Amino acid sequence: MLTNIISISLGAILINNFIFSQFLGCCPFLGCSSKVETATGMGLAVVFVMGLASAICWVINEYVLMALNLKFLQTLTFILVIAALVQFVEMFLKKSIPSLYSALGIYLPLITTNCAVLGVVLLNVQNNYNFIESVVYGITGGLGFMLAIVLFASVRERVDYTAEYPKCFEGFPICLVSAGLLALAFMGFSGMQIFS
Amino acid sequence: MNIKKQFKEGLITNNPVLVQLIGMCATMAITTTLFNGVGMGLSVLIILTCCNVAISAIRKIIPNEIRLAIFVVIIAGFVTIVDLLLQAFIPALSAALGVFIPLIVVNCIIIGRAEAFCQKNSVGASFFDGVFQGLGYTLVLIVMCVVREFLGSGKFGGGLIDIANGFRFTLDGTGAGIQLFPADFGASILTLPFGGFLTLGVLIAVMQFALTRSKKKKEMKELAAKNAEKEEEE
Amino acid sequence: MNKILKLTLILCLVCAIVAGILGVVNELTFDRIQEQQRIRTEKAYAAVLQSDGYEEVEFDKESFPTVDSINKCTNGAGYVVTTTFSGAQSKLTMAVGVDNEYKCTGISIISHAETAGLGANAASTSEIGVNWRAQFVGEDENVAITKAGGNIDALAGATITSRSVANATGTAIRAVEALG
Repeated sequence: MLTNIISISLGAILINNFIFSQFLGCCPFLGCSSKVETATGMGLAVVFVMGLASAICWVINEYVLMALNLKFLQTLTFILVIAALVQFVEMFLKKSIPSLYSALGIYLPLITTNCAVLGVVLLNVQNNYNFIESVVYGITGGLGFMLAIVLFASVRERVDYTAEYPKCFEGFPICLVSAGLLALAFMGFSGMQIFS
Repeated sequence: MNIKKQFKEGLITNNPVLVQLIGMCATMAITTTLFNGVGMGLSVLIILTCCNVAISAIRKIIPNEIRLAIFVVIIAGFVTIVDLLLQAFIPALSAALGVFIPLIVVNCIIIGRAEAFCQKNSVGASFFDGVFQGLGYTLVLIVMCVVREFLGSGKFGGGLIDIANGFRFTLDGTGAGIQLFPADFGASILTLPFGGFLTLGVLIAVMQFALTRSKKKKEMKELAAKNAEKEEEE
Repeated sequence: MNKILKLTLILCLVCAIVAGILGVVNELTFDRIQEQQRIRTEKAYAAVLQSDGYEEVEFDKESFPTVDSINKCTNGAGYVVTTTFSGAQSKLTMAVGVDNEYKCTGISIISHAETAGLGANAASTSEIGVNWRAQFVGEDENVAITKAGGNIDALAGATITSRSVANATGTAIRAVEALG
């Protein structure tokens, strides 16, 4: 069990990083990475929501959808659950932890359309993970996302100030190319295989 | 809004991926063979068109406060229908694209068009918007696939085209494609995630280059016309 | 409050309509999807060990957690084992044919999401894939890639996928042996 969890965690953070190897969550990854601070905020919010969404969707999938043989409603249910969850988290934070809300609040609405969140929930189902594995995969997947976005933000800050590149690469293209180089670095981890 | 202008906008000047910069996850992830690219592109085209029509048809009766929630429900509905149909009729495509079919729900192109276009325009205009934006998306996917496949493994049309027994299209994804040069000479790095980022980056750069250039040309022309007018006046 | 109630009602109504439509579509496609899955599994079975029918048999799931099912060939040729295991990028599902001498008669990868052009070659219908999978025919429970002292040449650039496929094949054969 423990080895399983460790292997899921390392897999989600390094080997099959959500951004660099599965391409899940690229929009916020490119949109919110111009500063390290915003990137950290976004990353934390994603870890939080992905963990929660994995837990709740697993329960709903197991005890409602599977029990009633409604597998075809998975996509619809999951996206509604995620949207509602994000709303509740936002309301809850606003009322009870205002300091955290001021840090994460603006990122929360963006998360509903973050494909990493829906992606992790669907992958949990596809990989037949049990409750604990799902939650671990959700949280570590979020951590992987956070690692990627923070690393990338610091690269990007430097690219913006000092790098020289053709003018037509300004903006998104140079970001994509530098993200690609980071993806290349992360490929080095694919040589790791744990306890097999 | 006329159709010709919409066509040009969807495919080039307001292309969803290259200019609006949305819906990039799937664009980078699945463009490894032409089969995947065409399949994904057409799926998005169909879903986008259906959603556009449905949303613009009910745009006047849905309350503004919950419009996004309703959009999402409608989109999820169409995505699931396409997903089920693919599983039933083209299982190879459904297996190859995996979670990226259900993930069309959160593809920003669809919700973006719903919010930016269908809310304000008639059913007819929304229909054409869906078709042309979908075509624009498909076009980008195809270009990405062709570039990555050709440079990465020296192939064209992997999964979609089979030339073993004469030229034919394979809908079950088994075609080996046309080998244009030996795969050993290919830069197989382009078929890896890095290739996705790089190819899309370069494509967008080319697009930016072309757009600024045509804009400059237009300005030059206008300037020249103005100068000519001035000279005539003098 | 009245307004919130009204909005909730509308949203629920939309959900109900969409769910209803989906129910109908599901009903219409359900049989066909099952049929497609059955065809796919049968094709994979037939590719590794030809038989006119397959019967699922009981096995020790505790000792072989990666094995999904063991199917006895009704013509007595041996067994087909389905197994799900982790590759380099994804989980792979594979059918392994095992004859009565506990030798592998072939492998067929049913589903995977390995890297295209590298690990995906293990499952591809191209010459590389077919030749690579042919190496497994006649191997016994100790099947391994050359790096681990076996006879299977790993796919170029996909040692991890190759290694996991070889290990899973070995496990499948051991699972059949354990049946006695």
